[in-house]
Formats: sequence, structure tokens, C-alpha cells
Amino acid sequence: MEALYIFIMLKPFSIIYMGEKVYVLGAGSTKYGKLNESIIEIALNASRDAIDSAGITPKDVKAGYISNVFGVADKQVHMAPVIMSNLGIPDVPGLTIESACGSGSVMFREAFANVSAGFYDCVLALGVEKVTHTSTVESTTLFSYCSDFFYEGGNGASFPGLFGSMARAYLATYDATEEDLARVAVKNHENGLLNPKAHVKKKITVEDVLKSPVVASPLKLYDCCPFSDGASAVILCNEEFAKKSGNPYIEVIGSGRGASPASVQSRKDITTIPSTVEASRQAYKMANLTPKDIDFVEVHDCFTIAELIDIEDLGFFPKGSAAQAVREGRTRLNGEISVNPSGGLKSKGHPIGATGVGQVVEVFEQLTNRAGERTVKDAEIAMTHNFGATGASAAVHIFKKIK
Amino acid sequence: MGESKSKSLSPRELFIKYAKNGEILLNQCTKCNNIVLETVYYCDKCFAKTFKQMPYKGKGKVVTYTIQSVVPEGFEDANSYAWVIFKLDDCDVNVSGFLPDISSPSDLPIGTKIKVVDFHDNHGLILQKD
Repeated sequence: MEALYIFIMLKPFSIIYMGEKVYVLGAGSTKYGKLNESIIEIALNASRDAIDSAGITPKDVKAGYISNVFGVADKQVHMAPVIMSNLGIPDVPGLTIESACGSGSVMFREAFANVSAGFYDCVLALGVEKVTHTSTVESTTLFSYCSDFFYEGGNGASFPGLFGSMARAYLATYDATEEDLARVAVKNHENGLLNPKAHVKKKITVEDVLKSPVVASPLKLYDCCPFSDGASAVILCNEEFAKKSGNPYIEVIGSGRGASPASVQSRKDITTIPSTVEASRQAYKMANLTPKDIDFVEVHDCFTIAELIDIEDLGFFPKGSAAQAVREGRTRLNGEISVNPSGGLKSKGHPIGATGVGQVVEVFEQLTNRAGERTVKDAEIAMTHNFGATGASAAVHIFKKIK
Repeated sequence: MGESKSKSLSPRELFIKYAKNGEILLNQCTKCNNIVLETVYYCDKCFAKTFKQMPYKGKGKVVTYTIQSVVPEGFEDANSYAWVIFKLDDCDVNVSGFLPDISSPSDLPIGTKIKVVDFHDNHGLILQKD
């Protein structure tokens, strides 16, 4: 198989590679929430659903890409060979990738790159996490290890705390209030009610959010996503493989990666996430699109403040105006731009190794007319955005419906 | 300023040593004069790796902070505290640390003067209102 190698130098150290066209042919996901099965079982359930959805068998899978962060909490690391063996393909190479809460999208990018480069015609991209069997203190501690620990976790910062500090800086700088943060949660819970696989299916009001207990000021309980178990998987393939399958598929038309200083203290502006800006710039460039072309987006709303920052950094709204956009309902389902039609991390849930892949599952279901009540009308172009920790790593992808 | 580097201590150990004396140890790039924290190995402007050490008075003003109700392991023994990012006085460097005995945002307006007083194995860089 001949891959077309084109390297475009955009700026020093920034290369966009365009090889073979890459498609998502199948997708599967467990429910997100508190699951009783082992981490390997939930991973296999999602993988089986993705393989069935693609209309293939495991023997078609030439490589497995697995994203996971806290396998050790369920007594399993070196997960890829275990998963491949239980899929009946122990001779197929697998790789486990960790990039904190952005593991799923960062792993998806590597799977995409390998198919695009022509190394494989069909791969499994699977994300999985299981943490709800640990106590809140244990989970909070495990997550704090994803920070720049010497300066953050080691000085007493939890992840809600890190985003709480970003929220305080944002609210002090721009026209935004704690009520605006609450509106993000209310909107995402409305969307999550329409998602049968969402973790937190509960209608809430702005007042409910404001009255919920403070977790890390100014963030309250309903400003925070839950700790979730869950697994999501997709099948990526090249054009020849997709066309032969006879099944519906969507095209990956943009892919970008970005990075930020690991610690929040090292960022010149605490109210923006540089990795998001750079990853989206690359993805827009590769797809030859602008924010106006995106019909809906799944963004990384681990905390309500993150969604406000995300939709500015991705170019949907000017800096400092996201709160107003949310206030005006412009980000609601079938608004000006539907943000998190799945319910997002906030309502759908956040099994951190799976989250980035789960976003792709949502896009696949939307663009192949399987999203039911939460369908974004007439959507043809969609974006996923997922970052690790406070945005130290990020990946953005753009997808196109195949008519 | 310009103190010779103690060969027996790692950069983090050096950072901690100075923090225990109320100072933040910075590095000034010998090639481009960029200032970074002691714990950074290469200049992020010119990528040089030789620095002149600059012990800096650990005083500054609060840029942002949070007060948490659920804390990571190791901090259960601490009463209500703030995790704070502060900007060093007269220097464009932010540092974060642990500020004990803060229970309400009214205790800590943004811009409050802060100083480094210690470094604990369990709680990291210890701050105090100045």
C-alpha cells in the first residue's frame, strides 16, 4: 500500500502530515457511570460493540490502540496485550497510551496517524477507565498525580482546585459570573437527559447549582463532572477498507495536537489553554475550515469553567464573550453552535481514559443518523476537543459526514 | 545573586533549600537573560542550559487561588487552606503554594500580599500573608 507523503512546514517544530484518508467505520460504548464489571470486561464490551458496528471481525483489526490512566487502580497495567488476547487476536500488536484526561484523543490521533501513514488498513482505538470503586479521597489523590505535582498536587491542589483557580481568574477578568458557570451545567444536563448512556441524568436549575456544596471555590458540586467508569471504542480504517465494508462511515478531515506549560503558574494567561488554541489551529488548517463551518462540537467540560474557556480557544466566540453566548442560549442543542450534545463530561460522564474516544463515538452516532432525540439537525461537520490535566496536552479532530 | 551552584543538591533540592529561607531560587539564562525557575533545565526562549542563580525574595501578590472542601491525601490534617498562585514582586514569574488558615474568599482578595515562609515535606511551599 503506497501512502502519499506530504509534509507541510507551518512553523518551526510544527508539521502537519497528510497521508491516506482515514475513516471511522464503527463505534461502541458502554454506559458511563458506576459499572460492576472489571476494567478489562468493560473494555471488551465496548470493543465488541465497535467491531460489530463496523461489520467486521477481530481478524480484520491489524493493531490496537488503548488509552487508560489508572489501570493500576483495578490491578491491570500493560493492558493492550490483555485486551487483544481476549478479542481472540493475541498476535496483533497493541499499545497503551496515557495523557491524563486527554488520553483518549491523544491515542486517537496516534491511531489516525498510523492508518494515514499506511502502516495499517484497519485498527481498534479503545479508551477505558474504572475508578468508582475507589473512595473520593483516593480518586482525588490519583487525579492530583496528573498535575505538575511538585508545584500543584504537592502543594495541596486537587483538580477541582486547579480549575477553581482558573475560574476565579476568569471571573475577575471578564464579564462572567458564577450564574454563567451554572448555566453551562444546566445546558449539559439538559442534553445528557437525552443520552441513554449518560452517567448523571438529572435536570437541574441554576439555583440548584448555586446551592450545591462548594468543592473548590468558586466551583460547586454541580460545576464538576463526576468520576465515571466506562469504555468507548471506534474502528479506524483507510478508504479502500471503508468502501469495501458497505457500512456507514465518516471521514476524519482534521487532526491537531497541542501542548501547554504543565503547571498553571507557568502560563502567561491563566484564562486560556494554549494547547487547545494550537491543536485547533492545526485541525482547521488541515481541514481547510474555520469555526463557522463546524455544526457541533464535543468539548472538554471537566468543569463548567473549562467549557467557557474551550469555546473561546476553539474560535467559536471572542475572548471574554463565552459567558454571554451561554446566557443567550447560543450553545444549546440546535442553537448557533451545539456544544456537547452528548451531555459532555459534565452529564455524560468522565471515565478519563475513555472520554476522548467517547466524543468520537458521539460524532459517529450523530453523523450516521443514530443519535435519536439529541440529533443536531442537518449536521455535516463536527469537532471533538479533549485535553489532559489543566490542558498540558490536547488534541482536536474534525469529522465530515459521508452522504 | 550569582552564587555558585551546590553540586551535591539537585535543582529541586536547591529550590526547597532556598524556600526554607523564605526565598524563591530563580535561574537567569547566561545567553539571553530570560528568567526561569531553578527547576527548569533549559531556557524556554533560547534553549541554553547554563544559568546564573538568583535567590529572590519570596514576596509577591495573589494572582488567583482556590479553597477546597475535598483535599488530596496528605492534606487531611490541614485546616482550611488556600492553594495560591502568586506573582513575585518586580519579576514576571508566578509561583504556587500552600496558604494555611484561609476559610473564605473574603479572607483573601486577589492582590493580597503574600510571602514564602517554609517548605514542608507534606505540604510543599508554605505561604503566609505578608
